[in-house]
Amino acid sequence: MIGVPEIICHQVEKRYRNKRVLHSLTCSINKGKLSGLIGRNGAGKSTLLKLLAGHLKPTNGEITVFGECPFNNLKTASNIMFVEEGMTFPPLFTVLDIFKMAKDFYPNWQHELAKRLLDYANIPTNAFHHNLSKGQKSTFNLIYGLASRCTISLLDEPMNGMDESIRTDMYRAILKEYIAYPRTIIISSHHLNEMEHLLEEIILIDNGQIKLHASLDDVQQMLVRLRGDINLIRKLTSDMEVFFEKEDLFHYEVVVERNKIDEKLLQTMNILVQPVTASEVCKFMTSKGKGGIDDVFK
Amino acid sequence: MNLKQESNTPIYIQIAEWIENEIIADQLLENGKVFSQYQLAEMFNINPATAGKGLAILLENGILYKKRGLGMFVQEGSKELILSKRHNEKLSNLAKEIVEEAKRLFVSDSELIELIKKIQREG
Repeated sequence: MIGVPEIICHQVEKRYRNKRVLHSLTCSINKGKLSGLIGRNGAGKSTLLKLLAGHLKPTNGEITVFGECPFNNLKTASNIMFVEEGMTFPPLFTVLDIFKMAKDFYPNWQHELAKRLLDYANIPTNAFHHNLSKGQKSTFNLIYGLASRCTISLLDEPMNGMDESIRTDMYRAILKEYIAYPRTIIISSHHLNEMEHLLEEIILIDNGQIKLHASLDDVQQMLVRLRGDINLIRKLTSDMEVFFEKEDLFHYEVVVERNKIDEKLLQTMNILVQPVTASEVCKFMTSKGKGGIDDVFK
Repeated sequence: MNLKQESNTPIYIQIAEWIENEIIADQLLENGKVFSQYQLAEMFNINPATAGKGLAILLENGILYKKRGLGMFVQEGSKELILSKRHNEKLSNLAKEIVEEAKRLFVSDSELIELIKKIQREG
């Protein structure tokens, strides 16, 4: 049923020795959604996905997938596809052998589609997985992940190493596969701008916690950029939370919440109201200062 | 049509406006079937839920109606409804913006009218 949480994390903590990577992370993800897991390097994206896939055990807290704990669990493992850079396959298998093996393992395996995508990506069927280039490996892993049509697909930085044109194609392939066979898909990336059109929701993770979990439309409309006279804007925004601020010789800009401002009124005051993209929202919400890199050079 | 990811107008509203434009242009006829959210998602390369939101707005505004199990269809009289709504809201807002900008740039009334006429001739 759509609308029921399929993945639930409650107060999850994960430590590697003394280093705490995730702490008191709580979230739930509904069945059938295509979500983006966004965060900066080291925010804990991969750790969270590994926990969901059952490859790691949480130090504290509780994770349930299909109502069960995924760690060391065959039922969840056979219904979750985890695509990551470190995927390994038997060394003596060609890519076609791997597909044939997958056919026996995954009940929904799309053999023809897998072969057509491989051909489209110019990867020969008789190649060995370990001989593929970095980008080809990522492409192969993603094709493998899509063709398996598992109930949950976790894609950890699936486009790593791919060139620009194949990335665009593969994003389109994810969307088409999702339309053909709706399922829960989580894609982690630090390149939100190239995939935001695909997503229904964004899960922003920062310092091992969920910073924001909202629909893409809401994130795109959350903040606005105001440009114009510095004194006027400062006065108008004095009681608002400022997410970003930049001042130079000729103009002043500030980023605030959209629902705090009156757009029509500002336009009459000669203040420019500009959109802030979802990827900028994520950047502003996870950056340290208010002025970005320019502050460092002050 | 291209969607503007970077815009003050949310994607689902851009989708709703696109469908309205198709109705105005008689590409979609009254009582005719409208694209499903999955077709729209495929056409515009967007998430089906976003496309679905666009359809939901039109359903709410009485532009479309739903037949159980068959999809969504264009409501009778929706073309007039859209035309009058656009006239009252969008066109007058745009006109207001133009007048304000003209004032800011010290463009006289006759100059502005001349400019509009010129664009009409060229268009």
